[in-house]
Amino acid sequence: MTSGQPSVSPPIPSQRDPLLWVALLGIAAVYVRALAFTPIEARQGAAQKIMYIHATSAFIALYVAFVLMAIASALYLWLKDEKLDRVAESSAEVGLCFTTVVLATGPIWGKTIWGAWWTWDARLTATLFLWFIIVAYLLLRGAVEERGRRARYSAVLGILASFLVPFIHLSVYLFRTLHPMPILLKPSAPSLPNEMLVTFLFSFAAFTLLFLALLRTRYRMATLRDWVADREQERA
Amino acid sequence: MTPDNTSFAYAAYTLAAIIYLAYALSLRIRARRLRERALALEASARPRSDRAEGA
Repeated sequence: MTSGQPSVSPPIPSQRDPLLWVALLGIAAVYVRALAFTPIEARQGAAQKIMYIHATSAFIALYVAFVLMAIASALYLWLKDEKLDRVAESSAEVGLCFTTVVLATGPIWGKTIWGAWWTWDARLTATLFLWFIIVAYLLLRGAVEERGRRARYSAVLGILASFLVPFIHLSVYLFRTLHPMPILLKPSAPSLPNEMLVTFLFSFAAFTLLFLALLRTRYRMATLRDWVADREQERA
Repeated sequence: MTPDNTSFAYAAYTLAAIIYLAYALSLRIRARRLRERALALEASARPRSDRAEGA
């Protein structure tokens, strides 16, 4: 399915994205605040500060990126609007980047606390599975040329992949696991001292901005790619 | 006693920065290639008289 008559001039986005620069500045500030001005946890040492990037990246990947991917995919199957397919695709790819950070920083934290880089416990394994499914989702998109079919297949896979999100969240309650319980997303009050909580929330805001900036850039790229594909198809 | 594992924290922060910057860079490179293709398509689709005026 195509988006109807493509516009004559290409939808070329600006090369300078102020939102991306604001996000990068915010993250630089998070690095300074977390590493230099946030107290060191007494039992875990400085390695506990990995939480400010690991947990925020996990939160945004699971509860923002992959939930957005699932919602946009479901809406695409209903409305057949290509914009929704592009949102799902962009959210999946940016979410994959965030999940890669989660899977890269988690073992470094785990080595200092558990004495092992990796353990096959429910949360870690399910997160790794989700990472592989999102890679498969993006490979599938690259493999199917017909746009309507590609959007339909990947929407179904995207919705199925998102079923892992509640499982990953609940895995620490359902299974015996080395991974700690949630410290923020739980019914009772956050179990963090105020200074650490402020750093965490600041980090969450900065990484959310980064997610939005990357999502917007990726979405615009997908729009331009489809415009180019339409034009090239017209010529063929 | 608080363990000294500062190097692990720095390693994780460095790795995260590398991954995010590499992804942002890959988006920029892919967008630039697409932009060049789009501009080439637009230029070749324009009538000759327009191209002469626009040059």
